[in-house]
Amino acid sequence: MLFNSYSFVLFFAIMLALHHMPFSWKTKKINLLLASYLFYAAWNPPFILLLWLSTFVDFHVGRALYNENNRTRKKLLLVISLIGNLGMLCFFKYGTFLLENFTTLVTALGFEFHPASPSIILPAGISFYTFTTLCYTIDMYKKESQPVKSLLDFSLFVTFFPHLVAGPIVRPPQLVPQFQTPRMATRLQLMQGLFLLSLGLFMKVVMADTMLAGASDSVFNFPNPLMPLDAWMGVLAFSGQIFFDFAGYSTCAIGVAMTLGFTLPENFRYPYGAIGFSDFWKRWHITLSAWLRDYLYIPLGGNRKSEIRTYVNLMLTMLLGGLWHGASWTFVVWGALHGIYLCIERMLRSKKTPREDSELEIQPTIITSKRKPMQTVSASFAPSFLRGKKMHLFFAALFTFFLVNVTWVFFRANDFSTAWRLLRSMFGFVENGAVLLSTLDILRVSVITILLVLTHWFMRNTNVLALTQKTKWWATGLAWAIMLILLVVSQKSSDSFIYFQF
Amino acid sequence: MQLKNLSKAGIFAVILVVAFIVGWEWHWRSKGFQITFNDDKQLWAVKRAEVYQTKRNATVFIGSSRIKFDLDIPTWEKLTGEKAIQLALVGTSPKLLLQDLAEDENFKGKLVVDVTEVLFFSQNPVFHKSANEAIAFYKKQTPSEKLGSTLNFALEQQLVFLEEKRFALNALLHDLEIPNRPGVFAVPPFPKGFEWTRFDRQTYMSDMFLADTSLLNRQTAIWEKLIMADKTPPVSGKALEKEFEEIRMAVSKIKTRGGQVIFVRTPSSGPMAKGEQKAYPRQRYWEAMLRYVQADGIHYSDDPGTANMICPEWSHLSPKDAITYTHHLVNTLREKGWFTSQKTTL
Repeated sequence: MLFNSYSFVLFFAIMLALHHMPFSWKTKKINLLLASYLFYAAWNPPFILLLWLSTFVDFHVGRALYNENNRTRKKLLLVISLIGNLGMLCFFKYGTFLLENFTTLVTALGFEFHPASPSIILPAGISFYTFTTLCYTIDMYKKESQPVKSLLDFSLFVTFFPHLVAGPIVRPPQLVPQFQTPRMATRLQLMQGLFLLSLGLFMKVVMADTMLAGASDSVFNFPNPLMPLDAWMGVLAFSGQIFFDFAGYSTCAIGVAMTLGFTLPENFRYPYGAIGFSDFWKRWHITLSAWLRDYLYIPLGGNRKSEIRTYVNLMLTMLLGGLWHGASWTFVVWGALHGIYLCIERMLRSKKTPREDSELEIQPTIITSKRKPMQTVSASFAPSFLRGKKMHLFFAALFTFFLVNVTWVFFRANDFSTAWRLLRSMFGFVENGAVLLSTLDILRVSVITILLVLTHWFMRNTNVLALTQKTKWWATGLAWAIMLILLVVSQKSSDSFIYFQF
Repeated sequence: MQLKNLSKAGIFAVILVVAFIVGWEWHWRSKGFQITFNDDKQLWAVKRAEVYQTKRNATVFIGSSRIKFDLDIPTWEKLTGEKAIQLALVGTSPKLLLQDLAEDENFKGKLVVDVTEVLFFSQNPVFHKSANEAIAFYKKQTPSEKLGSTLNFALEQQLVFLEEKRFALNALLHDLEIPNRPGVFAVPPFPKGFEWTRFDRQTYMSDMFLADTSLLNRQTAIWEKLIMADKTPPVSGKALEKEFEEIRMAVSKIKTRGGQVIFVRTPSSGPMAKGEQKAYPRQRYWEAMLRYVQADGIHYSDDPGTANMICPEWSHLSPKDAITYTHHLVNTLREKGWFTSQKTTL
């Protein structure tokens, strides 16, 4: 079920009513669990079996891992859990990709191999709930938190519908305790949740689908070279589209959970206001970058080993992060570019003198700080001539935004030839590029991009709920009404979220 | 304090939104617009699910926009006692729709295929996109989407402004008609009151459109622009034979299962008709296709009652003429033994 569908409006209204009825806490939890299964089954009912399997196996394996003292048996249990979870993910998400690459390889070696096309359907949200259950079993292995006592609470932790399909990726200590004691949204939480839900839907339906998707699709689907203006507008449109789409989903999820009295972790914090890439990854898909840091980068050795090894770990983490997004080499290149940017940033930072560092108020990067709360980064690799003044930091943020846009080309392009064609078009390496986009498209992409970057810059140290506190009630009401009116007028009610394919 | 402020903001927002919805609906109704359904893949999927009725009970129609305007469904149903299931898609070749029904082992009914040559024989993917999307949506429709469609239809039945093509934000922005750079191709927006679509997917021209010469001229200018924009020469030679073969195979599959297929060529007039005759001569396309496919066909110019029908904007019949055309179509089909029932006509 999509948040931006009439089915969800009906579902949500019923859920909200049920959750505010005078039932026992256990009944309410059962309601929430059944509703979550219904929410998931509304896509493709048979795949709910996978969800049950994953929940059941990880609940029992997790408990056994925590209680097991024999190291060999403990490792064996962990391997079973990893094979179970990652095996399922590999089969459904990477099965076709692996087979295609294997076929290419053996054909290159001169062998005749023509396997049948497997046509595997990707279950919605499998990447997200696999990571949710994986972190539980790994935490149990490391005894970093207590095993969940009730299967009901664990099932709800895995399946709770606001985060189930596209995150935020939750950790057991963030959500499980919330199921252990009765919870009901306060009136403030209810209002804030409804406000966030409206904002998230506005971001998705109005900004991503109505205003930006058209230009982005036109440019990325165009088979010939383009004028630089058109190519840039298409990439900027996608840059805005993917932010509004994914951050919109997360905002809806957080808002919906809040109306029921639950708190989900923040997933986006104005990423296009980031100064540098370590800052960017503290602001973009925060729960995924934190997951990769804690369950991949640090176990690989993090920055505790040699300098070279740190760079290798960074690259590996980002390459796998890229592959997590999709079974294609273009995603791997997207991850590789982010890895390279992070390595260069680290290199530049390590060359700075301590005095320069203190001037720049550099905070630990998300990759090296383990489970630290979000901290504001003033600067991380701004060139020396830009340091010290806010305006200069703004230009450093613009430079970061520029580089991020280059990476989005690989993320959005269906293949490398499209990506190269677009990059050549963007930087003027084509002759007689086509003019494609209408003036209307150019105007809306330009205006939205400027407003987006400025908003992210000025909001980088605050959040929208804090802003509503400072704003006059009528101004908040007016903004809220404009969002809802544009939502009604946009009428796009059922376009899927981009991150559902991951 | 914070709760009080947010609650006041929420109430204020709800008042503004309700006031806007009431005002917006009133605004469009007062301009003469009426309830019309989004002619989209959701509505198409509802009709697609109805094709499994017996030959005695229904005829399925596929094609492009012309059959949607020219077949008057109430007239058809009154004359024949059969249901008309309208699956034609605007601006789209019905070839994929034909193949989809041919591949569906459960479809054993009667099928009328409307031919608009420029679309029907086109290999341009643009003219197959809607069919692809509609078929994919029908096949992969989730339970949530089905429920969403039902709720959507219930709302569209009540509110005029819930028609995306005319009143959605994108459509309103396109109405601004901001001039483009030289070389940019953009389809100008159709006149807002051009047509209405009912739940049965019957489309018909509005009175406000037919009464306004400037709107009619605007529409004909759009057709001219679209025709001029497509520089690809009509398909011919081996490629045309390949098209014929694909159509033959699809028709053969349906007939083998006991189904019936007939092709129709609906009227066009004015410069549009002349252009079509020049680019797609009847002998080389219509007649050649029927011979190759070994199927029957009904060409509007063969019936004196339809040969000289005038399309107000060159391409589609007015609602009044659609009734006349439907009478003639039913008569011709009856002569060809299409119906088993004995309902009388004109």
